[in-house]
Amino acid sequence: MSTETTNAAAATAGQSWLESRLPLCAALRTLLAQHPIPRDYSYGATLGALSAFTLLLLVLSGFVLALGYVPSEGRAFASIQETIRAVNYGWLIHLIHRTGTTALFALFYLRLFRQLRRGGYTAPGELAWFLLLAQFALLLVVGWIGFTLADGAVSYWSLNNALAGAAQLPGAFGALGAWFFGGAAANPGTLARMAIFHYALALAVIGVASLHFAARRAAAPALAPHAAVPFHPYGTTKTFVALVGFALIFAVLLFFHPHLDQSAENFIAATRLSVPVTVLPPWYVAPFAAIGATLPGAFGSVAIVIAAFAVLVALPWLDRKGVRGGLYGFVLGLLALDVIGLGIVGGTPPSAATTILGDLFTLWYFFHFLVLTPLLTGRPRALAPAKAA
Amino acid sequence: MKRFFALVFAPLALAALLGATAVPPAHAEESAASQNPFPEQQTFGSFDKSQLQRGFLVYQTVCASCHSLNALHYRDLAALGLDADQVAALAAHVTINDRAATPDDRFRNPFPNPAKAEAAFGGAIPPDLSTIANARPGGPRYIFALLTGYQQAPSGFTVVAGHYFNLAYPGNRIAMPPPLKDNQVSYADGTKASAAQEAADVSAFLDWAANPDLDARKQIGLRAVLFLVFLGGLAVATKRRTWTDI
Repeated sequence: MSTETTNAAAATAGQSWLESRLPLCAALRTLLAQHPIPRDYSYGATLGALSAFTLLLLVLSGFVLALGYVPSEGRAFASIQETIRAVNYGWLIHLIHRTGTTALFALFYLRLFRQLRRGGYTAPGELAWFLLLAQFALLLVVGWIGFTLADGAVSYWSLNNALAGAAQLPGAFGALGAWFFGGAAANPGTLARMAIFHYALALAVIGVASLHFAARRAAAPALAPHAAVPFHPYGTTKTFVALVGFALIFAVLLFFHPHLDQSAENFIAATRLSVPVTVLPPWYVAPFAAIGATLPGAFGSVAIVIAAFAVLVALPWLDRKGVRGGLYGFVLGLLALDVIGLGIVGGTPPSAATTILGDLFTLWYFFHFLVLTPLLTGRPRALAPAKAA
Repeated sequence: MKRFFALVFAPLALAALLGATAVPPAHAEESAASQNPFPEQQTFGSFDKSQLQRGFLVYQTVCASCHSLNALHYRDLAALGLDADQVAALAAHVTINDRAATPDDRFRNPFPNPAKAEAAFGGAIPPDLSTIANARPGGPRYIFALLTGYQQAPSGFTVVAGHYFNLAYPGNRIAMPPPLKDNQVSYADGTKASAAQEAADVSAFLDWAANPDLDARKQIGLRAVLFLVFLGGLAVATKRRTWTDI
């Protein structure tokens, strides 16, 4: 008996010196391999894992791109071309970063919509929902900064418009804008400043993503033993299918439609002397650009975009947690179309038609959250069996 | 098992089929300007290297006197199917700062600075052509249309002094004089140097200049897609096998 114990102790000690001091494998086992998942684990649940994978891809490719990037006006565009042309597989790393951005935002729009559909923002999931929103808001900033770092004609004037707008903001907003951009007008140091924010905020995204993961796990309802299976192999095989499908779409976009994500004019190096005909934001910012354009002035734009986020933050209280009918599902479908419409409006050169449509779509967006959501989620839950989100 | 095979091979066969049909039919060179001037624009198409060599000749003979190609080095011409000696010889024909250029030099910039270019052309700076094929909607097709789009202005259309009527150019008034005419270059491969042929060749060359990675991209892409389709079949089969026992 005593020899057995000694052997066991020796085995534990000998088998992994590292594990006894830093129990990483044990942590991975409880965190991933043995983590219970429901038997009806859906492909939608793999979106988080796909986001993490894409985020990793962006960090790694971004690291390589940052090595060759010269963040100064007049040289940044050429330095990117140099990375694409003179670095081995530089073009591939560059395209991974660009396609990865598109993929990550697509995943995030899907995740947000999935939580809307499942009511994942209701207690005890509110904090996870807030952290998802925070991650999304941060990513919008990081993505847009990355777009300005490209230093193409559109990027440059998008940055300049933002600087001019920030300079008009009153009070605390103005002070924040001045601090962020380092002044009211683009100067030789602006791109360097943007580059530092791009890297720093990208790291912040990873931090918030980790918190979100922990909060989402904590909010998950306890599963009865017969209703649960371990993540490995059940979750892993399903996640792997999702990952390969995702990679397939990613590869088709990257290798066969590499320039789908930005307007042609951004392939012209930025100059102070020529302004592109239209300065359109990248597609993932477009819905918010359309919402921002509905109110005049820089302050109006900022205020309404903040309001657009505020209604999302307020969802746990706007949703009255009653029974959701088929009508609510239909209305959510309309909301999806509405956001797509906003994206198209924000990504199209402004005209009388886009102005009217932008106003209508924005109105519907707020109408959905402020009126329809409380209205259609209010039926008492008494008759329906409680269903955990 | 049958279903597994169907699952794996149906997409494979489909992809192979797509690849087979989309590969451009081999065209005789003389028809380049008329029929299929830009094989690289097709889904699985690649650059025609002899066309790129002809296009480089047009650029070097005609365009290079006003337009820079700043992102390119002479060594990049190896991708056109030229060997090291040929590239060195081509570079040596160019004089940069009173010396013969080497393969590691950037393409010669015709103007020392933008101000000089502006002064020479009355304010209209000839744009750098490194990424022009990506910067214009339509890419090489647009460049081809522009180069062959010079016409007599319709009556009633005023062309500003120092400008020319061009059908493809937005606004139809372009500051660049018609650059190409028949037999402006003489092609080593015997292709007839019509103005349209020169326009098509130089458009393809500029497409390459903007997208030097296009061929490698599509080759790797096709392999990646086929591999992922196969891996997807395996992944689905594994998942089904795993999930059957619960």
